Amino acid sequence: MIAVAERVFALLALVAIVIAVATALALARRRVPDWLRDDVALPLATAIAAVATGGSLLASEVAGYVPCVLCWYQRIAMYPLVIVLGVASARRDSEVWRTALPLSGIGAGIAAWHIAIERWPSLGSEVCDPVAPCALRWVEEFGFLTLPTMALIGFVAIAVLSLAARRSPIHTGREPNPTDTAGSLTDPTSTV
Amino acid sequence: MSNAATMRRDAKRRAQRRSQLLYAGIAVGVVILAVLVAVLSTGERDRAVSVDDIAGEPAISGDPLSTLPASGDDPTVGSSAPTVEGADFDGTPVAIGGSGSPELVMFMASWCPACQEELPEVVAWMEAGGVPDGVQLASVATGLDASRPNWPPDAWFEEEGYTGRVLVDDADGSVAQAFGLSATPFWVALDADGQVVARIAGMLDTTQMTALAEAAVASSG
Repeated sequence: MIAVAERVFALLALVAIVIAVATALALARRRVPDWLRDDVALPLATAIAAVATGGSLLASEVAGYVPCVLCWYQRIAMYPLVIVLGVASARRDSEVWRTALPLSGIGAGIAAWHIAIERWPSLGSEVCDPVAPCALRWVEEFGFLTLPTMALIGFVAIAVLSLAARRSPIHTGREPNPTDTAGSLTDPTSTV
Repeated sequence: MSNAATMRRDAKRRAQRRSQLLYAGIAVGVVILAVLVAVLSTGERDRAVSVDDIAGEPAISGDPLSTLPASGDDPTVGSSAPTVEGADFDGTPVAIGGSGSPELVMFMASWCPACQEELPEVVAWMEAGGVPDGVQLASVATGLDASRPNWPPDAWFEEEGYTGRVLVDDADGSVAQAFGLSATPFWVALDADGQVVARIAGMLDTTQMTALAEAAVASSG
């Protein structure tokens, strides 16, 4: 059962890679579709944060994989994103990137370092803590998807989606909607 | 507000709800598809070998050493190390301490990536004749955990081409505890009288292995 759950999360991570790349390309081309910006980006980012949180809890509480110190730092970055993005999604707060980006950026940095230690233990302390070693790959799906790798994908996807959700002429190529100037709360029907 | 404006607003809301339902449906569909693919593509893991199948029943004599401190001097240097009588994976007797020769003991956990990087170094060192004459080298397979990767450890030692002696720890890691293991890989150098010359937690290169072994010889006088 645990093996099936690990495979499910790995498959969802692959989906998240596609979402992140497609969204990043749209941002780079400054052509974020209205449907993505207004209706999809924040709920999807919330879902990714929720799935990542659920996956980490499943790994530690059900599978019994003891989280190492770097896992805990990534949890500190990921768990609040469920609330932050969830509330922003409900309120259609296009400015949530100001909170989500630092959290996901810090989390992504820690996850990247964790991946490096997994691949090259000599980069770290060169030892394995008997209880919770950070270099230990509890999960390795498709030859590369370890737990911090999935976390990194989640953080990156959340970062680009929260950027895609913002209403900015820089990324949409449009003039800002007058209704946006009052603050982060926007009229959901104004651009539909 | 005119009726026409209200109708337009209601129409927009209905369209928005339809869109949200569509997106939610797509998300649920993706998750269901992922579950189906996972169920169909996941095979049974080879956990046929349990810890009890692998674990030894080593007999430990003497006072245990305190855990190696993370920094500073090792207070156990010069004190007598415990002696252990156990067996390898095949049941062949293996002893640590009490041999009358300097000994180099390395504690390895098969799941530990640092150990996985270290063991090939050890094999290369042994094959190059790096172990000084008169020094007995032994590995202790410890940290036995069937839920962790690279299980079982006997297959790992064999795959890496390690031909030296291996003493298998028990399921509780009693030998590791007796030698004050703080992390793996863990090295202990003993002189001919069974006294601790040095303990090191971490990876060693072949030069450091030779230096540690020579220190054990030098301390044996």
